[in-house]
Amino acid sequence: MPVRAVITGLGIVSPIGIGVSEFWKSALAGQSGISAIESFGTLPMEGYRCKIAGRVRAFAPEQYLPPQQSDRVDRYAQFALVAVKEALADADLSMAKERPHRVGVIVGAGMGGMVMGEREVTQLYEQQKPHRVHPNFIPVITLNSASGIVAMAYGAKGPNLTISTACSSSAHALGQALQCIRTGQADVVITVGADASITPLVFAGFCSLRALSSKYNDAPERAARPFDRDRDGFVMGEGAGALIVESAAHAKKRKANIYAELAGYAATSEAYHMVIPREDGVEVATTMKLALESAGVAPGQVDYINAHATSTNIGDEVEAKAIRHLFKKRADAIAVNATKSLVGHTLGAAGAIGAIASALAIQTGQIHPTANYETPDPACRLGGISRSTQERKIRAALLNAFGFGSNNAAVVLRPWSA
Amino acid sequence: MTTDREIAPRIIQALAEYLKRDAATIKESHHLRDDLGLDSMAVIELLYKIEEAFDLQIPDQDLAGLTTVGSVAAYVKTRLAPAKAAPAAKPGATAQSKRKKA
Repeated sequence: MPVRAVITGLGIVSPIGIGVSEFWKSALAGQSGISAIESFGTLPMEGYRCKIAGRVRAFAPEQYLPPQQSDRVDRYAQFALVAVKEALADADLSMAKERPHRVGVIVGAGMGGMVMGEREVTQLYEQQKPHRVHPNFIPVITLNSASGIVAMAYGAKGPNLTISTACSSSAHALGQALQCIRTGQADVVITVGADASITPLVFAGFCSLRALSSKYNDAPERAARPFDRDRDGFVMGEGAGALIVESAAHAKKRKANIYAELAGYAATSEAYHMVIPREDGVEVATTMKLALESAGVAPGQVDYINAHATSTNIGDEVEAKAIRHLFKKRADAIAVNATKSLVGHTLGAAGAIGAIASALAIQTGQIHPTANYETPDPACRLGGISRSTQERKIRAALLNAFGFGSNNAAVVLRPWSA
Repeated sequence: MTTDREIAPRIIQALAEYLKRDAATIKESHHLRDDLGLDSMAVIELLYKIEEAFDLQIPDQDLAGLTTVGSVAAYVKTRLAPAKAAPAAKPGATAQSKRKKA
């Protein structure tokens, strides 16, 4: 019998709430965290096709973190630290009782320290003073700054990794945490997804890619509308999600509360195109199938899918096609929702935030609404998508996450049963 | 000032450079995807060059109609017309260019 992994703690920083309780309350109410961006400092929004985003409002790191943790890292790593603090407390995991080398940290991040990154590049060219580049620039923008600071904050000396596969980063972080537990490399893996790159250059880049919604600048809360006929692109979000993943034996020993079993995972590449998915959905279907096999779960047991569903025309269509391809007639009986309809697309944090929504759905039997699902798009119609909260006993849940670079991930969660 | 007659050849030249093929083999009737093999990302890159060449900003909503070399030329012509500076967007048009997974 392979070693099994469970999720025992959750923490979140999101556009609809800092903290799991606020996030979940907002999620069940279908509340949107998308709002207008007034400007990027002195840079007006006129030249941006998209002028809206899901931002974490009123985030004051000093409320949550000592300055030695928060001062030397970028916004995404601050989010990660705050989410991890909540998750560890929620798991009631005391590092003093753990063997430090048996506690790992795996972070998924797509963009990293872009706030400081963009600021320093701008200043370098404006001021022409290379000697005035901030001494902390390199450690802050290095993509493993979040996994590093989390380990330092808690003395976690086990495997310390950062996975960067764009929008699937933290789904892979969860998958790698599972592998870590299964192969006995760690008892506990603090697993995180974090990104905070609603910054002038990155935002302009996504506009230029024509990946963002631009029809709803005057009605921001309506812009993220996965699977809806009138969707026109994704809305950028930011945030972090943290999940404490540990071996079932370790959790049992310390009598931890268990949200769900982290039961399976698959990682694939479509080996197809940097930004376009294969339109027939076969690769996505294969990824989900492999994840279910990894979990020993039959497709007939899946009751809920937390879809990647970014609200782009092709992405949602391909995912719906893939769900239909794999689940055949049962496709319409599975509850499907899109967390991005509420928080926008948090890039590297998306997998972790989706996993938190999935773990809470398993625990509470409540599946949060997909906001703005008003007119089902015939091209991606699935019977289980709803604008309302759905009540369901979940035997197994699938979490999908796909990233630029032809990258796919799927993760399986299910209720814990010894 | 760009004359109407110059628009199509400039677009064809931009395409020829992008596709690394002889401009003489590209016709206005050519479909960007079906005849010239441009995927949605390539169309976006082409329009990025066209925006620069003609000093335009092309809204996402206008992309749906830009399927052939001729339709791109006609669009640019409309946008450059002095009295009609407003975009020729078709209200409610779905931008088929959003073909990305993100």
